[in-house]
Amino acid sequence: MSATPGANPLRAFVAQLWGSVFRHGLPANDKVAARTALTNFFLHIHPVRVKKSAVRVSYTLCLGGLSFFLFILLTITGLFLMFYYIPSVDSAYQNVKDLQFVAVFGDIIRNMHRWAAHGMVITVWLHMSRVFYQGAYKPPREFNWVIGTFLLLTTLLLSFSGYLLPWDQLAIWAITVGTNMAKYAPIVGPYTRYLLLGGNQVAQGALIRFYVLHVIALPLIGFLLMVVHFWRVRKDGFTGGL
Amino acid sequence: MRARAETTRRQFLMIMGGLAALGATLFGSIEVLRFMFPVASDNAPALFKTAFTFQQLTGGVQGGKAVNPANVLSETDKRVTVVLDNAGIYAVYLVCTHLGCTPNYVTDVTIGSGVSPTVAEARGVRAPTDRLPNGWACPCHGSRYFIDSTNFYGPAPRPMDWVNIEVTPDGFFAVDRGALVATRGPGNNTAPEWRLLVDTLKSNGKTLGV
Repeated sequence: MSATPGANPLRAFVAQLWGSVFRHGLPANDKVAARTALTNFFLHIHPVRVKKSAVRVSYTLCLGGLSFFLFILLTITGLFLMFYYIPSVDSAYQNVKDLQFVAVFGDIIRNMHRWAAHGMVITVWLHMSRVFYQGAYKPPREFNWVIGTFLLLTTLLLSFSGYLLPWDQLAIWAITVGTNMAKYAPIVGPYTRYLLLGGNQVAQGALIRFYVLHVIALPLIGFLLMVVHFWRVRKDGFTGGL
Repeated sequence: MRARAETTRRQFLMIMGGLAALGATLFGSIEVLRFMFPVASDNAPALFKTAFTFQQLTGGVQGGKAVNPANVLSETDKRVTVVLDNAGIYAVYLVCTHLGCTPNYVTDVTIGSGVSPTVAEARGVRAPTDRLPNGWACPCHGSRYFIDSTNFYGPAPRPMDWVNIEVTPDGFFAVDRGALVATRGPGNNTAPEWRLLVDTLKSNGKTLGV
């Protein structure tokens, strides 16, 4: 991409700039396409070569991809919600009302977050069922199945912790019931409840803990597990149809 | 190449260093875990004063007996309900023994449960004319309790606990949710006999299971 003498300096600069970001041109033929997939960070999630039968939509129904799409959507809409939401028992509920009635498009953002969360639980569940019924958990993919079960758990915990944040009656009694369930565990039960609530009562300590879990801890765990999950999908290979 | 297996100075230092790192990690992990368990919290204190008075509950005392034959007043947000019957006054800690919701006071606790109202009416020390099939019903999973806090329907495994109640000098009640006066295990249908006596304003001291 070096500029030839006498060429337009601006054009050369743009070419160099472009070349420093993208190491290849448009994938016009197989060779360039392969190099594109190898050298682009965002594209390298896909293998360089995939059998045509493996990308058939009816094969996987794209359920894992849909789950990931919903996760991205939840991250973005969640980020918007964080501008208005304060995890305080005095203001949390009012903040949610403000989101719906004061912020422009706030109600849409909140509902996108809510429905995408419901949707993600459904798609993750269907994805797991699909993998199970196709026997796709069998060697060499048994480890990825285990990561998948942790991802399901993370999804459910995200769903549960998010449910609590509006701090309405539904939230307070859900956290009461949920943490009392944890108390039933032998030996560690009462400690787990104290740990989750930051005390013995469902109060401010509980709200901030579930907020931190919901916006930082669980998404981070989910993201790291997803990175490994996708990597293993690639490395464990595609069967290319039944 | 060494002739016999003996620990070199370098190996010894590696082992000691490794153990030190392991110990530091272990200690640090325990402290991080302890960080998550606060030694004090902003939780409401166990002891509180009711918003209603002894006079409101009993209607006054005449000849050593309460004017009202039977009465129930609740502080739902504080999760305590105070019951007056012919034997005296007691306070029930309104924490469902299933998963901790707050049961509501109802006057038809047996409805739809298959249990005869007369069974509920016979609970508590009440004259036949004052009897009512009252008790508590949990809104979360439908557990039901008689007026003496004995569970009879739904997933609740055991009766709700009774807590200590006293009359304050200014005529209100002081309820200590941290001091149980009657606690019963699964299947224990014994009606607790603990009461705050209306004539002496002292407890009869008949605790159960504590």
